[in-house]
Amino acid sequence: MAEGNEDVITKLVVTSSDSVLPIDAAMRIYESSTDIVIKETCFGTMVTGPRESVNKVVKEIVDLDKNHIFVKERGFPPGDDRRCRASRGGGSRPGFYFLKEEAMMLPMIGNALDKYDKHVPLKEVERKKKYEVKELQDLIESTQ
Amino acid sequence: MAKVIIYPTNSLILSDLVQRFGHTPIAMMEKIKEKVTTVGVDSPPMNITAEEPKHGLKYAAVEVPAGVRGRMALVGPMIEQADAGIIVGESPMAFGCMGCARTNELTKYLIRSREMPLLELEFPHSDDEGQEFVYKIAEFLKTLPDGEEATE
Amino acid sequence: MSEEAVVKVALVSCGSEYAGVHGELESVASSVNAKLVYPEIEIDILDDIGKDFGIEAASPDLRLMMARAKAVVEGITDVDGVFITSCFRCAEAAIVRNEVRRYINKHSELPVISYSFTERTTAATLLTRMEALTTIARRRHLLAREKQSGLTAGIDSGSTTTKAVVMRDNEIIGSGWVPTIKVIDSATEAFNQALEEAGVKQEDIQAIGTTGYGRFLIGEHFDAKLIQEEITVNSKGAVYLADTQKGHATVIDIGGMDNKAISVDDGIPGMFTMGGICAGASGRFLDMTAKRLGVDITELGALAVKGMEQNVDMNSYCIVFGIQSLVNSLAKGSTPEDVAAAACHSVVEQIFEQQLQEVDVKEPLILVGGSSLIEGVPKALGELLKINVLVPPNSHLIGAVGSALLASGYVEE
Repeated sequence: MAEGNEDVITKLVVTSSDSVLPIDAAMRIYESSTDIVIKETCFGTMVTGPRESVNKVVKEIVDLDKNHIFVKERGFPPGDDRRCRASRGGGSRPGFYFLKEEAMMLPMIGNALDKYDKHVPLKEVERKKKYEVKELQDLIESTQ
Repeated sequence: MAKVIIYPTNSLILSDLVQRFGHTPIAMMEKIKEKVTTVGVDSPPMNITAEEPKHGLKYAAVEVPAGVRGRMALVGPMIEQADAGIIVGESPMAFGCMGCARTNELTKYLIRSREMPLLELEFPHSDDEGQEFVYKIAEFLKTLPDGEEATE
Repeated sequence: MSEEAVVKVALVSCGSEYAGVHGELESVASSVNAKLVYPEIEIDILDDIGKDFGIEAASPDLRLMMARAKAVVEGITDVDGVFITSCFRCAEAAIVRNEVRRYINKHSELPVISYSFTERTTAATLLTRMEALTTIARRRHLLAREKQSGLTAGIDSGSTTTKAVVMRDNEIIGSGWVPTIKVIDSATEAFNQALEEAGVKQEDIQAIGTTGYGRFLIGEHFDAKLIQEEITVNSKGAVYLADTQKGHATVIDIGGMDNKAISVDDGIPGMFTMGGICAGASGRFLDMTAKRLGVDITELGALAVKGMEQNVDMNSYCIVFGIQSLVNSLAKGSTPEDVAAAACHSVVEQIFEQQLQEVDVKEPLILVGGSSLIEGVPKALGELLKINVLVPPNSHLIGAVGSALLASGYVEE
């Protein structure tokens, strides 16, 4: 990837780890870099700075517990007036609800990544089938 | 390294998994960043102006609502640059850029119409489904050119 | 609430941020000292909002709209008014937008505007609507005024005609009505007519109110105490003239350029809509019809009442095509009476299709504006809606009377 120092990005780090708390992640960032700004939010830690530094720091954090710390890029810089609920007055930005829902799935995804690493064979997942008409008919007839 | 368009286009999980398994996610966040950091445009909050719905005419006709065309102006070029795609079935909580069902129908159609490797699945509801979800995505990503091994 | 307080307007919308109009919405809000806020919601209610509210919309943003409307009604978000908006030509959103509007109107006292935008919607288009919304929120005490007092004047600088009245102690004592040519000149002429008839001098007037398209310009020129958009002024004027200040009423104002339909409760607008796709649905079309038939506009109504609209195939969805059907009908031998009736029917049909779907029609239905004097128009509207249409005396002076009435609120201050 070609990027210059001008290329400032924001990444959102969401931890779903038993061993690493968001504060640990934040401490790691404070220790490792000077040109990075971080912000704790209600949905994760936002890391802003030059692309290379952000990527480096984020990798360090993820490596603390790689299958249970998740990352995505974010469009808006943290606290952007155009998006921040404090200046918007009232409700949260639209992306928040989906993020919250995805965050609730992270323990499940993390466990699955652990299993994948350990080559645990995939279990056959049983899915509910539609009730066949014949079965329904049998059921009705059996109750008569 | 392949460019993989993800659907929902703003998904944390998909963006993370694509990156984790050695590819580049094509996601809405980067597109939004491009928009909001455009110098000289002041159309809060997204910096989407009346120009975007016009650019969206490439993907949908003028009788299609402005909100659909404006969203397509963002997502259309993303689809065009993708080498592969992962579509995960509808999440009821996806608002904003994913909040319009008509746009989403068109987005999925355009991803499917590209002749490129495509994985379609549903968001998991149980640990077993979660395992299947991750395994399928990992295996799919490994089949793409220059995919990295996930383990170690 | 002080006059200067920021009015908080809940934005209940889907897609405005992606349609290129959001900046315009923000800009119009700030121009009337209002702030758009996204209502805070409890995330859990999103799971069941489709069934709770009753519309299982496919678009998540529409479900968010319903949740936000609920938050507004339940007072989770404290706002002064609601702006409900979605993309023009989206059927799914139109269904939700309409029901959300009804829901808020039924369950709260908040003023509501409903609007469907295109990427071409500008702040200027929305100004009158947003101004009305903030006025209702900010000046409820002023709108509660039921009687005119002192010596006041009102001037309505409309797109086609300018009207002025002078009122004293709850009586109209002078009026003027002239075509709008140069905004200030026409206003001066209409005002002078009214002053002359009233037998008073301009300097004796205690307060002036202005409304209509030219309200800012003439307001400044005449040093008006009240400069107010025509939605609140006309609703007030309508219920005042029709003597229906208490309870429900629906006001329809067919203007020279656009139409307004306003649902009024105790003299205060609750829901309103303004506009029209084309001038084909406005007074302008009737004006052109009269010219083509070679009659004065004042004679068109009497002609229309004698005609049968069914005899003419007319659709003035567009003013150009409307005139074309009119010419064709005359060429095929239709009578001027039938053509006049068809023109009136066509105008009210569009009001029904485009405006009355956005407000709930509750009797009495008060028809105002210059077009209400064309007898064929109230007749056609009454036939279409199957209800009695009330045309109050001086219905064409509605904006001027409303302004004079509201301006008298400043006499005592």
